Amino acid sequence: MSEILKGRAWVFGDDVDTDLIYHNKYLAETDPKNMPQYSFEYYPGHENFAREVKPGDFVVAGKNFGCGSSREHAVYCLKEAGVPVILAETCSRIYYRNAINNGYPVLFVKGISEAIKARRINDGDMLEVELETGTIRDITSGQTYHGDAVSDLEREIMSAGGLIPYLKAQKKQG
Amino acid sequence: MGKTMIMKIMERASGKEVKVGDRVWCNIDWSTARDFGGANCALQFDEITNNEGRVWDPDRIAFTFDLQAPSHSEKVSNNQKIIREFARRQGITHVFDINHGIGQHVLLEHGLVKPGDVILGTDSHMNLLGGVAAFATGVGNTDIAASWLNGTNWFRVPETMKIEVRGEFQRGVSMRDFLTMLVGDLGAGGMDFLAVEFTGESIERASLSERITLCSMVTEMSGKIGLILPNGPVLEWLANRAGPEVYARVSAIAPDGDAPYIDVRRYDVSALEPMASCPDAPDNVRPVREIAGTSVDQVHIGSCTNGRYEDISAAFEVLKLSGFKISPNVRTIITPATREVMLQAAREGMIEKFLEAGVVFTNPTCALCTAEHYGALPSGDIGCSTTNRNFIGKVGKGSHTYLMSPMSAMATAVRGVITDPRDILCQGGN
Amino acid sequence: MGRTFAEKALGRAAGHPVSANEVVTVEPDFCMSHDNTGPISRTFNKIGVKKVWKPERIVVILDHGVPAPSSDHAVNHKEAREFMHNQRAPHFYDVASSGGVCHQKFCEEGFALPGQIVIGSDSHTCTYGAFGTFATGIGRTEMAAAWATGAIWFKVPESFRIDVTGRFNENVTAKDFILKVMGDVKSDGADYMSVEFHGDGISGMSIAERMTLCNLGIEMGAKNAVCEPDQRVLDFIKGREKSNDWEILWADSDAVYARELSYDLSSIVPGVAKPHTVDNYALVESERGVHIDQAFIGTCTNGRLEDLHAAAGILKGHKVAVRTIVIPASWEVYRAALHDGTLETLIDAGCIICNSGCGPCLGAHMGTLAPGETCISTANRNFKGRMGDKESFIYLASPLTVAASALKGEISDPREALKG
Repeated sequence: MSEILKGRAWVFGDDVDTDLIYHNKYLAETDPKNMPQYSFEYYPGHENFAREVKPGDFVVAGKNFGCGSSREHAVYCLKEAGVPVILAETCSRIYYRNAINNGYPVLFVKGISEAIKARRINDGDMLEVELETGTIRDITSGQTYHGDAVSDLEREIMSAGGLIPYLKAQKKQG
Repeated sequence: MGKTMIMKIMERASGKEVKVGDRVWCNIDWSTARDFGGANCALQFDEITNNEGRVWDPDRIAFTFDLQAPSHSEKVSNNQKIIREFARRQGITHVFDINHGIGQHVLLEHGLVKPGDVILGTDSHMNLLGGVAAFATGVGNTDIAASWLNGTNWFRVPETMKIEVRGEFQRGVSMRDFLTMLVGDLGAGGMDFLAVEFTGESIERASLSERITLCSMVTEMSGKIGLILPNGPVLEWLANRAGPEVYARVSAIAPDGDAPYIDVRRYDVSALEPMASCPDAPDNVRPVREIAGTSVDQVHIGSCTNGRYEDISAAFEVLKLSGFKISPNVRTIITPATREVMLQAAREGMIEKFLEAGVVFTNPTCALCTAEHYGALPSGDIGCSTTNRNFIGKVGKGSHTYLMSPMSAMATAVRGVITDPRDILCQGGN
Repeated sequence: MGRTFAEKALGRAAGHPVSANEVVTVEPDFCMSHDNTGPISRTFNKIGVKKVWKPERIVVILDHGVPAPSSDHAVNHKEAREFMHNQRAPHFYDVASSGGVCHQKFCEEGFALPGQIVIGSDSHTCTYGAFGTFATGIGRTEMAAAWATGAIWFKVPESFRIDVTGRFNENVTAKDFILKVMGDVKSDGADYMSVEFHGDGISGMSIAERMTLCNLGIEMGAKNAVCEPDQRVLDFIKGREKSNDWEILWADSDAVYARELSYDLSSIVPGVAKPHTVDNYALVESERGVHIDQAFIGTCTNGRLEDLHAAAGILKGHKVAVRTIVIPASWEVYRAALHDGTLETLIDAGCIICNSGCGPCLGAHMGTLAPGETCISTANRNFKGRMGDKESFIYLASPLTVAASALKGEISDPREALKG
């Protein structure tokens, strides 16, 4: 049950906006499978993310990840790239909804913003993430972090696989 | 204990008593989409219903076209086509095609928005409709497509912050400057997940345009919604457009005297000066005075934040005092928010004077604020704009943008360098 | 033996009499380019010359994507801006209300002058023949070379004489006429030739109508197209002319022509060019009822004040049934139409009025077509995919026909729209 995910960290700062995650230049795209190629194209220092990210890698960010636009592209582009979970101090409310609605986990990790600034967690660090408990171990540095669990409704939507499957299941029941 | 405005709105929409932190399913008054995200919504809805689904209520769905109006790419054209065809198939008649303007403003002009409404849209600035006390929020396509299934969606009942504003703006200073100051003061995460009620004498006196401006950038502080209870001329205007039931709505959602606020902040605007968001974040705020003299390549006035008639009119005033001349070194673009705004500006002879001065006046649309439309910047250029975001590379890789009020933007266009509009307005000319 | 217009104009520029098929090298009076100035300047820089031969003869008018719809366009514009600045070339029309579609702007600004030689890195440069100018489109490399050397070679073209008499019936326009000519001559019927429009039918036409005719010269394959410059031309250029060194030139009555045709304007009726070639002529009558998704009024062919007046005459007090994009050919046109209430009428009718520029004509701005969509347009090209998706369709027609069609959402005859 308590699966442990293992992968490399890609580290970002605070207030990473949706244009940095997925630039408005590519908004006309409607197929999520085509979206990973544009991930973080405009993020200074991580322009190569789309080319180099491997399925299983983690996105680690500070406060207010995904602020700005309502574009769901910014969730799809990471989900489709195989990033299994977003680890951020906080994330913007629209981004959070979009993630939950797609059954895509976001862990709110206390202290990660400071850790990023203090370079206690760095690009390429190997992480182990236990989604069930919210435990994050940075194997490279030996540090451990804890991500917040989500509320019941979000958990239900998540475990149904997203908002649409959730609603369909509700409909069948009710 | 009493209830805040958002609690009352969610109680109306969910049909049950709510408390802060609850997750509630709300009935949706309008589930809208635009030519950004709209095609994704339509395709997703068709996919999840095996192309057989009917939307829960075609008269509660609206489509607006403002991302690229008219489109300049085949992909966007095709997305627009997908929306039109979906609307036709589903019997959705509220389709405001490329000749209308920015979605939220169009919905408002057409009398479709009432205080207390719950409105979804594929635009993170939907919440500017909080300027008339509607709970409007930007969401992704999954939220929209899901709401089309049964007309509901879930929300967390947020804590509410109250912001009381008093004092009168000095000449050359506007609601946008207060807003910019506020974004700087609270920061990008300063309203994280919160509802905000704006009150106080300055707000009660504020025009509809000013209220819209103020609520439009709650998103930039990560707030859920900024709400202003309609009163006076704004309420009259709304009743005119949306019908007399808005009066009862306003009474029903007015916050209680003992409503719980997580934070109350008080501001006095009487000493406020023109403010700007410097590159590359809305909360990187400084007084215009301190950055005056910075040379710019392009000035843009428009967007859902500051593209209304009053905004254009404020810019006009600055231009007029400058003898209707802009700097030849600056490209200046004005984009009205809606067709109604454009017509009014045309009828009052403003557009003619703008053109005489060298300004490019476009059709109503989101322009450079969205997917690379009118006014994208080349690398190395400095832009100055009344839009609401200046994230790195947003309007062109390697470019940087200052955000400011229409008056400051026009003063900058006139002089070719960032200029405090009081230099023009308070000294009788250029 | 008499000489044709082309022989006279090229002879004047060469400094000695010339005849058809001779090769001459001449100095252009003006060189026009638009958003492609950036790439041309890159080629120019490779030649190894630092300065253009005469900076005051270079005219650059940004119009293809204004204001820049993408950062790539913006970078292109910036390159043009910097080139003109560095060359101290004064005739630069940037993104501002002094601009417009290059061909319209070029004429309004008084660069198109009788008897002069103009080259432009755009195929519709032939439009300036309406002013008695020998004007022709060239490629980018040739333009870079001309900037460097101030010289361009031409084979003196043979000429094609089209005699035009009579007057249009009501609701028939110069566009209907030139589409009919296209249908007869076909897209290669005037290859390499100089097309001369003669006769009282032409002298009765306005400058705008003549520009519409000459604009389509290239669609017949012509090197240039020209109308006899008369008092109307003199009146137009008065106070605008950017050079004094011009001269009214016209063909001698005994000049020799490779081909001749004649038309009576009273026999012309509303016509269209059907997809996907400009010479695919049909009567509006026979295309009535074809469904359209978009109507477009504008471009260097038909975006002038009288074109907007024509459309407004039909649309006034009505609502369009399809999205209708109106783009005045220049800001001068825009301002005049704003001033006299035409734009208001069009907005009230549901049209979308865009800022001056080429718009969707070449599929990269303001109204690109989606797959399967059909547009009726006042532009000059309906090649497959020209306005967007390769599976889209373009009908070319007059502003009257486009407006009448916009009202119904299908191709309609303007003669009936005005009746009903």
